[in-house]
Order: sequence, then C-alpha cells, then structure tokens
Amino acid sequence: MSAVTRRDFIRLALLAGAFGPAWAACSRGPRKRQVNFFNWSNYIAEETLPGFEKETGITVNYDMYSDEEEMFSKLKAGVQGYDLIVATDYMIPRLKTLSAIDPIPHDLLKNLGNIDPKFQNPDFDPGLQFTVPYLWGSTGIGYNKSKMPKPPSSWKDLWDERYAGKISALDNTRDDIGCALVMLGLPADAKEPAQLEAARDALLKQKKLVKHYSSSTYIDELVSGEIWLAQAWSGDVLQASRDNKQLDYVIPKEGSFIWVDSLCLIRGADHREESLQLIDYILRPEVGAQIANAKRFASPNGAATKLLDASLRQDPRVYPPPDIAKRLRFYPPLDPDTEELWNRTWQEVKVM
Amino acid sequence: MARSEGDVAALGPTESLSRREPGPFDRLLSSVLRGERTWASHLLVAPTSAWLVVFLLAPILLILIMSFTARGPYGMLLWRFTTANYVRALTPAYLPILLRSLGYAGATTALCLLLGYPFAYALSFYFEERRGMLIILLMLPFWTSCLVAIYSWIIVLGREGLVNELLVHRFGLLSAPIQFLNRPATVIGGLVYFYLPFMVLPLYGSLEKVPHSYIEAAKDLGANPFQTFWRVTWPLSLPGVYAGSILTFIPCVGDFLTAEFLGGPRTYLLGNLIQNQFQMAQDWPFGSAMAMILVALLAGGLLLYQRLERQGVEAGRV
Repeated sequence: MSAVTRRDFIRLALLAGAFGPAWAACSRGPRKRQVNFFNWSNYIAEETLPGFEKETGITVNYDMYSDEEEMFSKLKAGVQGYDLIVATDYMIPRLKTLSAIDPIPHDLLKNLGNIDPKFQNPDFDPGLQFTVPYLWGSTGIGYNKSKMPKPPSSWKDLWDERYAGKISALDNTRDDIGCALVMLGLPADAKEPAQLEAARDALLKQKKLVKHYSSSTYIDELVSGEIWLAQAWSGDVLQASRDNKQLDYVIPKEGSFIWVDSLCLIRGADHREESLQLIDYILRPEVGAQIANAKRFASPNGAATKLLDASLRQDPRVYPPPDIAKRLRFYPPLDPDTEELWNRTWQEVKVM
Repeated sequence: MARSEGDVAALGPTESLSRREPGPFDRLLSSVLRGERTWASHLLVAPTSAWLVVFLLAPILLILIMSFTARGPYGMLLWRFTTANYVRALTPAYLPILLRSLGYAGATTALCLLLGYPFAYALSFYFEERRGMLIILLMLPFWTSCLVAIYSWIIVLGREGLVNELLVHRFGLLSAPIQFLNRPATVIGGLVYFYLPFMVLPLYGSLEKVPHSYIEAAKDLGANPFQTFWRVTWPLSLPGVYAGSILTFIPCVGDFLTAEFLGGPRTYLLGNLIQNQFQMAQDWPFGSAMAMILVALLAGGLLLYQRLERQGVEAGRV
C-alpha cells in the first residue's frame, strides 16, 4: 500500500505542478536563476537535481507527465514556462514541425562528445541538431514469475485467456497498435486500413482480458501481484524488480520497439542558459551513469558506460545482445494521415 | 412593487432615522433598489452577464466552431468547414459509449434518489435540532478536492486496501481479496458518492416547504400513513425530485475523473473519450463535436426539466 500512496502523491503533485511553471513564468521581479524542466514521471535519479542545484545555485522546477501526448498537447495549447523537456524519438519531427523546440548550440555543451557514436546521428534528428539523448529502453512484457506457470515469451501471452483480469497494457497509441501489428506479423508501420482493422480486432479481443490500460500505475500492481503480466517499459520493471525479486522482463520473440528519449530546448525559453548548463551536467559521465543506475534504463552516454553498475551493464534486458537486438526497431515514423488512422484505431478500441 | 413600498413604509418614514430630507442621491438609490429603473436592472446584471459571456458562451462558441474544422497534421487545426466530425461521432462505433454514459448517469441518479429521499425526508421531518450539523456532514466531502477523495477511495478499495485488509487478514472472512476497482459498479458507487448532495439538497428544499397542516389534514380525513405520503408529501416534493435528478444526471454524463481512476477498460465514458481527444489522440475537432453532442443532450434535458416543472406548477394550481 505504501507504494501505491507514494505514486499517488507523485501524481497529485504532478497535477498541482502543472500550473506551477506557468505561474512562475508570470511572476515579475529580479530574474531568478532557474530551469523549468518537464520530464516523464519517475525518470531521474533522486540526487541528480539536488546535485546540480548545489553546484550551480540554479533552482530546478521539476514537473512530470505520464503520457507523452499529454505533454505535447500542453505545449501545443501554448502552456508557457517550460524551458527544457524530455521527448521520445517519434515526437521530435512533430515538435520541429510545430517550431516548439530550438536547435541545440553545440559549442555551449562541453560534454556532448560523451554521447555514444551510435546515438550521434539518429534518423529522427540527424547530427543531434535539436536533441540530446537522455535514456533509451524497450517495450516488452513485465511479469511476476511466481504467478506464471511458465514465463511469457510472445506477445500472444498478453492474449492468453488463462490470465484474464491479470493483464495490463500500456495506454498509448504507439505501443498498443504497434505491438498488436507485430504480434499479427504485419508491418510495424502499417498504413493499410485493413491491417489496422486487424490490429483493432486483436486489441478488442485482448480488451476482454485486460484489467486496465495504464502507463504508470501498472508497476505498483505488478509488485503487489494484482496483475501478473503487463505490456511494459524495460526500466520500469527492472526498477521494481529490485524490490520484488519475482518480477522479470522479456522482449517477446516476435520483436518489439526501442526508443530514445531526448532533452530538448523549448523555443524561446526564458532560461536557456541555465537549461544548457543542466544538459551539460546530465551529459557528465558520472551523472549519466547515476541516472541510468537508478532508473534501470540504458544510457546513450558512451563515457558513462564504464561507470554503470556491472549488473546493469551486463543485463541483456537493458543492453540486448545482437540476437535480441536484431528483433528490435525504433517506433516507425508515421506520416500525418497514417498517424491519424492509428489514433482512430486506438480510440475505437477504447470506446467499445 | 406595491408590496415592496409597503415593506418600506412598514419600517417607518426614513426621516425618523436620519432626521433630514432625502437628497437626490437617496431618492435615486431607493428607486434603484426598489426596481423602478430599467437601466439599473441592466447595470446590476452586467457583471454576471459579462462573466457568463467571457467564460461560458465564448468557450462554447469556440468549441462549436472547432467542431466543424478538420484535424491537420500532428493535431493542428485546419480551418476548413467540414461536418465529418459529426458524421464520425454518429457512427455505430460510438453508440455503445453513449449508451453506457447515459446508463451510468441514469443508474447514479436513480441510486441517489433512492438513498437521498429518505435522508432528505428525515432531515425535514425528524431532525429539527441537528439539521445544520447533518447538512454540514453531507457537504463535508466537497471541502476536499475531489481528486484527493478519489485517491482515498483507491486506498480504501484497492486489492491491498483497507476493506480487503480487514476482510481477508484481520477477520479472515474471505480467502482472497475482492476486486473492487476497475469495475462498473465501483464507478457508479463513486458517482453516487460525489453527486448525492446534488440530489439531497433540492429534495430537502422542497420537502421542508411541505406544510405540516396538509399532512395533518390528510390524517384527519382518514388517510393512512402511506396514503398521506403518496397523495400529499410525494406530489409536493416532485419539484425537488426533478431538480435533484437533473442536477445529478447532467454532471454525471460528462464526468470523467471517476471512471478514469476507479474504472477500467470497460468503463470508458463519454467524458473520458472527449478528454482523450484533447490529449492522447490530438483530435480537437472530433473532441469538440463529441462535446457539442453532449451539450445538446444536456440542454435537451434541461428543456425537458423546465417543461416538467411548468406542468408541475400547473398541476399544483389545479
């Protein structure tokens, strides 16, 4: 129960915090040295921001979201006051198109060279003009070993009637539609209405077995045994497995998605200079390792690798070996029409 | 107007209070306060009207306009007239959610009436001394944020929550915890919890006005308690029943927080759908169309209420 309350309070704080930065931006007076930072919930080491504040005297106003589209709609609706955000790869072209983010001045970042060359030139942002990679991970299945007769290995296990009511699925278009397509053996960037109808029908079948769709609370329920298996993000499960040894994570044999979350500067941010200082701080090997060690996601910071806990560095669930890695792919970039079709398909699943 | 002059006269001549002739300002003020100046009436309602126009009418108008636009790339609005959003909203895919929302709201209203009527009745006829306290207790949940209340319910009803803890571990009455959350019944229970005061207060308002002499007269004329209730008290409380039902039903149809937090995949309601269009799906035009359909439904409900009320008044006069 304590886990539930802790997270609940985080979420309450999130709701209250939603108005904080906007409020702070309105207040007049001598300009404070601060950064308004908008990140995924539960996505930074506890000591990172205090360490930065102590060293620089810059205050960090930290705000969290648990649904990326929610973050995006806030920015789109013109909520002001954020300086620095974390966004996932597929979101970057959108943010660029809408002129929501500014280019990163590379000459002001001493530590940018620490980024692993593999992440220096991603498709969604060649040459890292707008983004600085923060963490990366995969979508797979988190499960409770003690409840399962045999460990899941396939997406089809999330459709297994034996687990009715003990299954949770992520609540976002990309993962639900994407993984359904992968399970059905259809292209992961399906554009044909017939293919998406097939995904919809599969998801409707799964819906009868799903306890709920959740992108943040499923971890607590996995820990408490309320659900047995969950469509999950790697680091979330691996973090929880430190408290509950029965939890494990698997990348299904049909393949799955990896993603990179990146730091982006909001266009015309009030605290640009301080934000760049924070980015540079996060790029330090020891800070990059600190965040990855705490959150159990993989770090794109090459210089941080040797500082990672051996258990993390050698964990095939975090750094998949080549035979697993070849089954992983980035979320496909979707053209606007296809994206709308995907969104509609997911909404049709939810309304039934 | 004649009556208000009478009231003022009953207070006695103003001279006796101030011992001076009323100046032009006094005369103006008293004529304004007595409702003798038409321009003054406009002035007095102006702040409220301005508020309603800016914060109610303008947003609804904006949503109405948005509901006829198209969704562009990445959820941007395309300012091009289209009725496609309404066409989509009225396809069979969205019928189940409409029916479910109306069903939940109807069930909640019925339960609120069932629970609220005896309470309002007791409040009006039995607890004269402790009435204030009981009303305060009824309103107590409103003093906290409804989000805090919902989270408390999660803590109470969760699998590892208070109720299951007591039933399973403390008293050993059950071998396995009951799953309360993510069920339709829990969502309806949550809605009843939130909206019960909206039902009780109008009921109490009309029950309190039922003259005791009518009830005594019914008894004197030989009616048994049931007949007294059914033929005297109940008809006289009908305005409260209508008002309470409307006040409960309308916010219920649009509620999304309760289903979001206490519900599961099968309790997705119209409010959730609309909220999702503005956030996850980035489809503001479709969300707006859904919202307008909801507004139209509720406005229809209100008109129906006014009609019923008018009939009630006419029936009362006969």
